[in-house]
Amino acid sequence: MGAMETTKTTETVEIGVLHRDGRTDPFFDGAAEDRLVIRRCEPCGRWYAPDQSGCPDCGADRLSWAPASGEATLVTWTVLHGRPAEDGTAPPPTILGLVELAEGPWLNARLDGVDAGALREGLPLRASFVHPAQGEPYLLFRPA
Amino acid sequence: MGESAAIAGLGMTELGKVYGRSARRLAADAVRRAVADAGLGLADLDGLVVSHGMSGSPGVELAAALGLRDLRVLTQMNAFGATAGAMVAYAAMSVISGAATTVACVFADAPLRPKQSSGAAYERSAREWYGYGGMTAALGFRSVNALYALAARRHMLRYGTTSEQFGAIAVSTRRWATMNPLAQMRDPITLEDHQSSRWVAEPLHLLDCCLVSNGAIAVVITSADRARDLARPPVHIWGWGQGHPGHRRERGSEFGLTTGAAISGPIAMKMAGVTVSDIDLCQLYDCYTYTVLVSLEDYGFCAKGEGGAFVESGALSPGGSLPTNTGGGQLSGYYMWGMTPLSEAVIQARGDGGERQVAKRDVILVSGNGGILDHHSTLILSPHRKEA
Repeated sequence: MGAMETTKTTETVEIGVLHRDGRTDPFFDGAAEDRLVIRRCEPCGRWYAPDQSGCPDCGADRLSWAPASGEATLVTWTVLHGRPAEDGTAPPPTILGLVELAEGPWLNARLDGVDAGALREGLPLRASFVHPAQGEPYLLFRPA
Repeated sequence: MGESAAIAGLGMTELGKVYGRSARRLAADAVRRAVADAGLGLADLDGLVVSHGMSGSPGVELAAALGLRDLRVLTQMNAFGATAGAMVAYAAMSVISGAATTVACVFADAPLRPKQSSGAAYERSAREWYGYGGMTAALGFRSVNALYALAARRHMLRYGTTSEQFGAIAVSTRRWATMNPLAQMRDPITLEDHQSSRWVAEPLHLLDCCLVSNGAIAVVITSADRARDLARPPVHIWGWGQGHPGHRRERGSEFGLTTGAAISGPIAMKMAGVTVSDIDLCQLYDCYTYTVLVSLEDYGFCAKGEGGAFVESGALSPGGSLPTNTGGGQLSGYYMWGMTPLSEAVIQARGDGGERQVAKRDVILVSGNGGILDHHSTLILSPHRKEA
């Protein structure tokens, strides 16, 4: 697992302030080092998203944390438009997708650095982290 | 002959931008109206099943608010948009088993506030977020519109479904709504109106998305024998089913492609002793146009992947082969979760549809959908008592 593309200079998404919750802290430990850390079931080897709590396949009630490759492909996407204000102006649209990690699980992904018109099923993407001045880092997916 | 159950009463409050009454008060009003509609009094109820929407109320305390005493069945249920069908099934089973004789089922919600957009009623916002889930919410995964858009896009990618086909559903549903005095949106629309309506979450236009309404709807369920002697024509409950596919978010997932209707539909139809070709009209949960399309496929009205061509054929419209959402549904009528399709089914079964009444209405399918296509319920209703 190599270090992934890093964006430490600008906060590209206005999200408020993100805090740890005591349940998914290893994800943020990894994010601080630009590594995507997700859940894995040690007995059966299956991978899961960071918010999964047990293995529905083999029934294991505990999942470990393990670094993923950060490689993903696009499954589906939406361009989300904000509600127009009374003067007709609208906030810039955001692109959300479901991405399939190379390890198998799907993540809810905010896409960045892509043109909506160029999106297609199977588009190669790569996990990338933004480190805001305040709060925890957050995950974006950018074209690989 | 075995005992069976029927819907004997329907009560609806004013629906839409209805302010000044709490969800609990609206629920109480709907129960009173449903009981009166059946020709009964509140004291005749010995069962109450309660569900609520975004308001988080009412719960079982509604019984005390109504002054109900010595109930034999009282519970709150929640499977989101599948709840209405589940409530009716539970009430029917209560009546058939003898656990209770007369059960009211009610849904109420009041998410709209004056001068607030419909979308805001269903979206949370914050400045502080916690954990991985908080991160994805902060990044935009807090919009139901976005999640359904992801599902709709997947269907389009896999089967070639088009926005114009979604638009055909919006147009046919509005045609029905123009004939329903209870509908919130009664001005006719064209496919061009659909295509030019603003994007909400691509591929969903504004006219792909349901309304948001305040109000409450209740039904009263009792035995078919007793219903025959009450004030209104009974609506017989022939069958029910649920389906919760539990699609995982991982490689190979069917998310967006199939729904729980593929499970709940065959169960309900088998119980009712009918097949899909026996269904005369459909009342389908239409939180989005796409939801109707994928549900039609999963019930078997057309093959998987052919929902787009099916809805473009005009089948769902007035005069079509499968009249669907004949009151304007949630897209154009009123948004009372699963009570929207259920209430219109009762109106049609009784022959109370006025200008929009469908002549052949012997077998009616009612479909609920909850979560992001996570939960489905199906009812098969009829104006006729089922032959043993």
